[in-house]
Amino acid sequence: MMPPYQRTERRKSMAERRPSVSYTPPVIPHLAGLEKPQELSLKLEECDVLIMGTGLVESILAASLSWQGVQVLHIDNKNYYGDSSSTLTIEQLKKWCMEVNQGRMQHFQDAQIYVPGGKTTNKFKSKDYGIDLTPKIMFCKSDLLSLLIKSRVYKYLEFQSLSNFHVFENDDFSQKITTQTSKEDIFTDKSLSLITKRNLMKFLKFILTDNKEPQKKKVLQESSKSRISDFLVSQFSLEKPQINELVYSIGLCINEDTKTPEALAKIKRFLSSFDVYGNFPVMVSKYGGPGEISQGFCRSAAVAGTVYKLNTALVDYDPKSKIAKFNDGSHVKINEKIVVSPSQIPKFLQSSYNEITAPLKQYSITRLITVVRRDCKEWMSEQESSAIVVFPPHSLPTNNDQSVQVIIQNGGTGVCPEGQSIWFSHTSEQDLNRAKQDLESAYGKMETSLLRESTSDLDEAFDDHDFVLSAQGTPVFINSFKLGESLSNFVPKEKLEIVCKLGYVQKTYVNPDLSNIFHAKPENNVVLKNLEDAKNDIIFSNMPSAELSYDGIIGEAKLIYQKITGTDEDFFDVDFEDEDEEDNEYNEAHKVASTTTMKSVGSSGGIVGGGPNSNTNLHALSSDNENVIEDDSDDDHNPFGADEMEL
Amino acid sequence: MSFPNPATSVKLVLLGEAAVGKSSLVLRFVSNDFQENKEPTIGAAFLTQKCTIGERTIKYEIWDTAGQERFASLAPMYYRNAQAAIVVYDITKPASFIKARHWVKELHEQASKDITIALVGNKYDLVEDDNEEDGLRKVSVEEGKGLAEEEGLLFFETSAKTSYNVNDVFIGIGSKIPETNAGNGAAPADQTGGEGRIDLTSNSVAANRAGECAC
Repeated sequence: MMPPYQRTERRKSMAERRPSVSYTPPVIPHLAGLEKPQELSLKLEECDVLIMGTGLVESILAASLSWQGVQVLHIDNKNYYGDSSSTLTIEQLKKWCMEVNQGRMQHFQDAQIYVPGGKTTNKFKSKDYGIDLTPKIMFCKSDLLSLLIKSRVYKYLEFQSLSNFHVFENDDFSQKITTQTSKEDIFTDKSLSLITKRNLMKFLKFILTDNKEPQKKKVLQESSKSRISDFLVSQFSLEKPQINELVYSIGLCINEDTKTPEALAKIKRFLSSFDVYGNFPVMVSKYGGPGEISQGFCRSAAVAGTVYKLNTALVDYDPKSKIAKFNDGSHVKINEKIVVSPSQIPKFLQSSYNEITAPLKQYSITRLITVVRRDCKEWMSEQESSAIVVFPPHSLPTNNDQSVQVIIQNGGTGVCPEGQSIWFSHTSEQDLNRAKQDLESAYGKMETSLLRESTSDLDEAFDDHDFVLSAQGTPVFINSFKLGESLSNFVPKEKLEIVCKLGYVQKTYVNPDLSNIFHAKPENNVVLKNLEDAKNDIIFSNMPSAELSYDGIIGEAKLIYQKITGTDEDFFDVDFEDEDEEDNEYNEAHKVASTTTMKSVGSSGGIVGGGPNSNTNLHALSSDNENVIEDDSDDDHNPFGADEMEL
Repeated sequence: MSFPNPATSVKLVLLGEAAVGKSSLVLRFVSNDFQENKEPTIGAAFLTQKCTIGERTIKYEIWDTAGQERFASLAPMYYRNAQAAIVVYDITKPASFIKARHWVKELHEQASKDITIALVGNKYDLVEDDNEEDGLRKVSVEEGKGLAEEEGLLFFETSAKTSYNVNDVFIGIGSKIPETNAGNGAAPADQTGGEGRIDLTSNSVAANRAGECAC
């Protein structure tokens, strides 16, 4: 046996070991100064489906087709994975912004990036950042999470809990429903009147009742057209703070026009996600959101046989011969279909795309992403590294019509270094000037609030004259009144230190309420449009939606899957062999670790949303979900897919 | 009385040109020690194999490239938190050695600083009796050793076919991985507790709670 070769010991050379043989080292090319090996052109004669763009929906599609035995060629015209839902470094973002403003990133516009200071004052390593172009959060009961588990893609990922949902009202942040919230807590909250508590309890009971229960069914039918706030006032006499909390914070609704069924489904989505993995409703994937998950599905697709090539674009396609030509000079015959992401449309398809999308309503999503030198622990639950902040409609000085939703993640999630955090904010305000003002205003409010709350700034709020040393030598305040109420009006002179600030506008044909995903028709969804002059060989996918959660992603992937294969019944219908033995061993070995993890987030019973399903495991849940999705037909209009929520 | 140490998980990534025997090497390692002729599990995220080195048990999570290396399209996810890497070349193919050098460079750029890398010249069986001057060997031992020394890598010549030196690669890597560094596949930065990480392999909260109460 050959021992491992290390610096300290010198292994005998071939010549030394075989002294009888005269050994001449073979001639091999001179290696010094060699760069990357040259990229090969695609040596592939044919494939069944060509997918352009490695965004989340397209990556799930590639994996689902591949596991069904379809030969997929998956390319991207960028040199990174993720397409419009990628996770990028700061250097990559700089380049990305430039390309957006040169008009080379379709469906993106008005990109601005601000990196203050020079290399000496603002030191950072670009690679330490993973900034999602379309950040998202994952509810613990959701179809994507079920799929991640079923497909084993979760094994490539790490998830962390997120429990804190803050809502901004009356110029301050409040948070009534948190990880520590139990039914008892809500009802012992001293700030709530007895009558409010009773009303709130009545509502929670109502929402957790089965939708098929006759009394509830009747109420729901009568209120299907009414706005959620009207419904909550008329049916449950709830007041504005509770309505804000329920509708915009935990429900993540985006404006006052949200109809009752949609809002109720969204509120229930939050409540029923409690206690699936612990006492938290939401998870985030570490090191990035959709960008990270799409990499996971791409890897799964590769394991199943998909061929990957980045930095590659389609330059021509002949529907007669079915030959696709690529910019690397290669030709591939496409047996079935071509799926084109809206950010990868080749020139020869541009006019057809413009034509079929002309009748569709386009929506703008304006985003502001700021990397700050603060860990923002003030807003996060202990042991957590993420939080949500929501500015409901009309809560900002700009009198915003649409709510501003913010995901905050610090170094603990691996998206930035320790001691820093990223604030991902966005709005669906369609007036772009107003949208930008709303986002800036929200940013300002958060900044002020953070500086006000953080203890380190308290020290700076006082100068030496405010302290005297006590006899024991510890500093004591002279003006103790500075602490009480007046402090809440304290406006710090100092500004937050910013590493990077990034703003851009994204366009999509997906309605923010996802209604044209859940109820897709050729008139409202580009996926279902037919491109006659390409013999219907070409399918366009959608840009990411404004939705903060991953809801709708699987729906879109299935929509395209169905258009290619004719059915979505066998979507991920794969019997992944269970590595039971391995897993059991693994669990044994990690029992200590995992219980510690659960301890850190768990607290004892009485959890909001802890209904009869509270102990459902995700395997059971996934089959439940599928049944319900099939059961979709008898419902009229359900913009948010309330039936999917019914568990 | 002593308890066996729980296995520490180590993420190990394979790199190298197509057809140098990356998968064979892993299959040899995984099947030899465990089950004869084990086929890769359908849809397996990665292959796993335990390796006992003295008092320690290391559970390797071995990530194969799944062909994504063909057009240099490996995702950042592949390198992330990898604590060990095996860069494989074919000692009968000089071009594969040139690529090996490229992969080592790539690892230095993409992977964590303290990753343990082994450079492996595979297909030793083809040159074992290579006495002639025009033998099949095209990359000399010195050449491989030289690169290993230059870059601070472990170096082996192996044969996945005859299993020559295959286990030694994994044992060699295992003994070089610092104890504190071998965690639950987590980055060194996470060692302070892997805070908030959710174990999706557990079926339900109830099960976890039960576990907790029993303690």
